[in-house]
Amino acid sequence: MRTRLTLLIAGLLVGLVVVAGPASAADPRPEIALTIEKDQFQPSEIKVKANTPFTLVVTNKNAKAAEFESKDLRVEKVVPAGKTINVLIRALKPGTYAFFDDFNKAATGRIVAE
Amino acid sequence: MGGTFVVTLREGFEAALILGIVYTYLEKIGAGRHFGYATRGGALGVLASVVLGVVVTALSGPLLDFGPDVIGLGVIFLAVVVLTWHGYWMQQHARAVKGEVQRRIDEAQATHRLWIIGLIAFTGVFREGAETVLFMWGLLTQATSTSGFASALGALLGLVAAAALGWAIFRGGQHISLQRFFALTSGLLLLLAAGMFSTGVGRLEALGLLPQSSTAWDTSFILDDQGHVGSFLNGLIGYRARPSFIEVGAYVLYLAVAGSLMFRGNVSKPRPSTPQGKVPAHAT
Repeated sequence: MRTRLTLLIAGLLVGLVVVAGPASAADPRPEIALTIEKDQFQPSEIKVKANTPFTLVVTNKNAKAAEFESKDLRVEKVVPAGKTINVLIRALKPGTYAFFDDFNKAATGRIVAE
Repeated sequence: MGGTFVVTLREGFEAALILGIVYTYLEKIGAGRHFGYATRGGALGVLASVVLGVVVTALSGPLLDFGPDVIGLGVIFLAVVVLTWHGYWMQQHARAVKGEVQRRIDEAQATHRLWIIGLIAFTGVFREGAETVLFMWGLLTQATSTSGFASALGALLGLVAAAALGWAIFRGGQHISLQRFFALTSGLLLLLAAGMFSTGVGRLEALGLLPQSSTAWDTSFILDDQGHVGSFLNGLIGYRARPSFIEVGAYVLYLAVAGSLMFRGNVSKPRPSTPQGKVPAHAT
């Protein structure tokens, strides 16, 4: 059971590299930096162009893990301490999309698409 | 301290609920000596969570960007499948077991399917497990300072409280009738699975694997899904303040399909479970 599970996870990860590798390489989508520092998001408001997909580059400068989460964007991603992750965001309709750190609810922010 | 307590309580609640239900279930159907299936499943879930937590910390690049997403989605849909399967099976049993008289179940059949119980325990623990491991790990590395220690302690207490809830469900489950237990838990698990299914479909939508649909409604002014109550209900029955049409559709579709699968038997005549109708006269 354990080996089967390991194989399953390994298989999924390999499949992922195959799928995600070329896709991310061919993507000219804009990158927007977001930093978690001193238990807050920097910046706490991000303005993006509506109807344009983009990549959110989230860096966690805290000494503990954070979880970038947004109910509006359907994203829930752990960002280990000192790590950077890319979050692909689909083209957004004009509007406001809230996000927060699920491990530290005091850290909140929003994306404004216009 | 209060903040970290709430985080781990919420992360651990689903696992505690599911474990509480499966242990009670095994006990109720007279398969108490098969607790090992649930225990092994839960323990494997903890192991997988720790492994994933360590791997995520070590990874970087596209693997870190997408790996946890793919695993998370896999676990969500696996959980939906096993919960549905189990719910269906439980209904079959509820019909077969008329009153407490015939509570002994068909042993061979049960053992054959007990690994599903293990799988349910596994997905229940693993779904939020890696997150909890990373959260706890981050806190423990900072536990040397006084405030860090308080935070870590709060988080530990949150896990203890979640475990106590699971235990309370198990204890409470002993005192209600088998029928009521089946009815209560199949309803609850149905809603839980519907919420999971809808969440999984919403993730697919966000990842661009499903077409994007607009927001069906906005009830965030009544109950925000980011607050304590809202996010609790989000985990339990899939409450969303601003769901998309696809998510709502997925929720309703799941309820309709799984619900009719599970409760169909209440309308049609129950099939006798004992071969050749060898039901003792006093049991009818």
